[in-house]
Amino acid sequence: MRMNDCDARRPASPALLEVEGVFKCFGGVQALTDISFEVAPGRIHGLIGPNGAGKTTLFNLVSGVFRPDRGGIRFQGRAIDGRPSHERVRQGIARTFQNVELFGSMSVLENVLVGRHVRTRCGFLGAMTRLPWVGREERAAREAAWRLLEFVGLAGQAMTTSRELPFGWQRLLEIARALAAEPRLLLLDEPAAGLNAVESERLGDLILQIRERGVTVLLVEHDMGLTMRVCDRIVVLDQGRLLAQGTPRQIQCHPQVLAAYLGGAVCPG
Amino acid sequence: MQELLQYLFSGVTNGAIYAVIALGFSLLYNSTELINFAHGEFAMLGGLSLVTLWAGLGLPLPAALILAVGIGVGAGFLFERLAIRTVRRPDPIVLVIITVGASILLRGVAMILWGKDSHSVPFFSDHAPLAVMGARLLPQSLWILAIAAGLILALRAFFKHSLTGKAMEACAVNPKAARLIGIPTGRMNLLAFMLSTGTGAVAGVIIAPITMCSYDMGTMLGLKGFCAAMLGGLGSLWGALMGGFLLGILESAGVGLFSSGYKDAIAFILLLLILYLKPAGLLGAAKIQRF
Amino acid sequence: MSLKPLLPYLVLAAAVVLTGLLVDNFYALQVLIFIGINTLLALGLNMLMGYAGQISLGHAAFYGLGAYASGVLTVHCQWSPWPALAVALALAAAVAWLVGLPTLRLSGYYLGMGTLGFGMIVFIVFREGGALTGGASGLVGIPPLTLGGVDLSDPQRYFFLVWTVVLGFMLLCRRLIDSRVGRALRAIHDSEQAARAVGVDTHRFKLQVFVLSAVMAALGGFLYAHLIGFISPESFNFMVSVRLVTMVVIGGMASVWGALLGAGLLTLLPEWLHAFADFEMIVYGAILIGVMIFLPQGLTRGLIDAYERLRRQAPGISSAP
Repeated sequence: MRMNDCDARRPASPALLEVEGVFKCFGGVQALTDISFEVAPGRIHGLIGPNGAGKTTLFNLVSGVFRPDRGGIRFQGRAIDGRPSHERVRQGIARTFQNVELFGSMSVLENVLVGRHVRTRCGFLGAMTRLPWVGREERAAREAAWRLLEFVGLAGQAMTTSRELPFGWQRLLEIARALAAEPRLLLLDEPAAGLNAVESERLGDLILQIRERGVTVLLVEHDMGLTMRVCDRIVVLDQGRLLAQGTPRQIQCHPQVLAAYLGGAVCPG
Repeated sequence: MQELLQYLFSGVTNGAIYAVIALGFSLLYNSTELINFAHGEFAMLGGLSLVTLWAGLGLPLPAALILAVGIGVGAGFLFERLAIRTVRRPDPIVLVIITVGASILLRGVAMILWGKDSHSVPFFSDHAPLAVMGARLLPQSLWILAIAAGLILALRAFFKHSLTGKAMEACAVNPKAARLIGIPTGRMNLLAFMLSTGTGAVAGVIIAPITMCSYDMGTMLGLKGFCAAMLGGLGSLWGALMGGFLLGILESAGVGLFSSGYKDAIAFILLLLILYLKPAGLLGAAKIQRF
Repeated sequence: MSLKPLLPYLVLAAAVVLTGLLVDNFYALQVLIFIGINTLLALGLNMLMGYAGQISLGHAAFYGLGAYASGVLTVHCQWSPWPALAVALALAAAVAWLVGLPTLRLSGYYLGMGTLGFGMIVFIVFREGGALTGGASGLVGIPPLTLGGVDLSDPQRYFFLVWTVVLGFMLLCRRLIDSRVGRALRAIHDSEQAARAVGVDTHRFKLQVFVLSAVMAALGGFLYAHLIGFISPESFNFMVSVRLVTMVVIGGMASVWGALLGAGLLTLLPEWLHAFADFEMIVYGAILIGVMIFLPQGLTRGLIDAYERLRRQAPGISSAP
């Protein structure tokens, strides 16, 4: 199934994320069958496939919501199976949700501050005593949060309650919150869903800028234009199986992908 | 030996009552994923209604029994319509507060209506206690076992063979899909509530002759029924049955071994143990929402 | 740092000092002290209910643990109250940790049931404790407090002690809410799934806030025991737990000031209405159901919102934004 010419171009540096022979089944439904691929650092990886292909399941395995039935997932060379979600965030895997999960009653700034959680350490006693280091930590966290809000263009809305933001901005806020954890790997679950053409164009720019910051991105997306534009590599899933992987151009020309998924797409060149 | 048998008899009798209460918890949990903290109060309501209807007004026993259970069902109807249905944000914490509120509200009303004293009713039939190998078996125990068994068989038949029962089960498995195929999920929830509080009232009615009924008997019964439901696995019919008998027998063994003052603590220690070790219950039938 | 957020606390502190100096009626001081103790209890429970979204139906048990631990150690072992206080708080913390560890992993119903059952066990232990706890008739002869040679048995001094503790804890809770920990707790309350996804160890935080609320309850119990000098199991039964939940619900979950209001109201109500005892349960039940259905933000918040809505409607267009 795998395209051989891709392997030749595999980067010399070790992979950031390695998914090895993963199986997952829910009840009697085989959601993922023998999935293996690698995510190289500093790249944008796309994960595409028709509805029910197992993309979100794969995301949930990587972020620690479920455990794989078989196979393993390694991050920075270390097995992370069985580690809880919050520990994976600390190790450098942050995510966003398909349906945007913000802390609705909190302000935009506070949402990003919660995102700093794993990079700060003030506990119950620290909060109650307010020793000098706690104040320093809080100020640093606020500065970092402001910088991130500027980065995604929401600094003007910092004090708005997050559930009152327009949907497109909620998406951006969720990305800022995920970046606040200073991840090495950012998992974006259909970030363009529900956005209009202009917003999704800007989202594409933002994802490219995120890569410039040195963050590796794994992107599940239905918007083919966006995926083909920003991704360095693409993995195609179909009915829980790995159909193909390669560069966007290779994927667009891959006969099985065309048959299974892209339908009428025309191979450029 | 004789003493042991005596403990077994009382354990099985109490166990049947715990099982019936546990059944009410499981029934409701199965259909609505809700745990009703006021469940025990419906047993209190059933018991005290029987006191008034049978001992007080002198109705014939069968009529008094049916009416007392009917009062439990009716109270469940009102409770669901007035309190549960109107909740805008059905978080567990909100529902816990509402059902706890209903619990003490019912208790307060019962205290006004029936006073703070305990009431008693005679046994359902005035046969002499049977002597079994030297131990005394009260005829009321047989009544309790028979009514509990009848109730369980009736509920099982309802869920397995009637269309309404199957529709209720469908709501429990997947409410959204059930609504899509045209099952009125709201009415099914109401029905589940009424069935649940009705079984609670049954428990209160059958226990009335062997215990003193008072406005504050519900909390203990409710908690022990919940403990029994958890023991067997919340949401499972056979689990409720097994949990009930297990709790009843362990309790009466505990009375034999330790002082009777600590008898009531046994159920709660079991409850904490089961939450610790196996929250899905000994049968592991129910899937607990575990994060 | 600006003083503005501290202003209400300064006003309250001034009110406390004035009241303490002006009021010398024994009965009035006693009621005010009870309000203080109940505020402390409600504040702790409020942290659990309002910020972690969990409910304890056995909070009277922690209150009782504080009272009985200190009472037993001072009466039977002749300890001084202060080391007894340390033991009482540690005991409440350890017990809360043990009860919360399994139940807080499960959905919101189970901490409720777990704490309800736990409250019953503790009540039974108090009642059946024989000579150690004094059984059903209670434990007598708990010594009054002295601090650095100052006798605190004088009601005025006790009033200042209790309200200093209350004010201190109100400030501490405020600090907690405004910190990384408070944000994490509010995040859990808003969306547990998202909180885990940003790296919050939700179970650990819920457990910690439960322990904190239990410790505050135990401190309240200590203050109660050494004020009255006599404790009996009935002061820590299920109804007391329900009353605490009602205080939090009246004051509004997630509000430091609401705890003060709820505690004040429910402490004064039985004092004002002597027939209240008979209707206590009906009133609490009606409040719990009514507030949850109609004003889920709490009675205070709900009434303020309703008032503002009315005010906005009444003058019509006069003050359009």
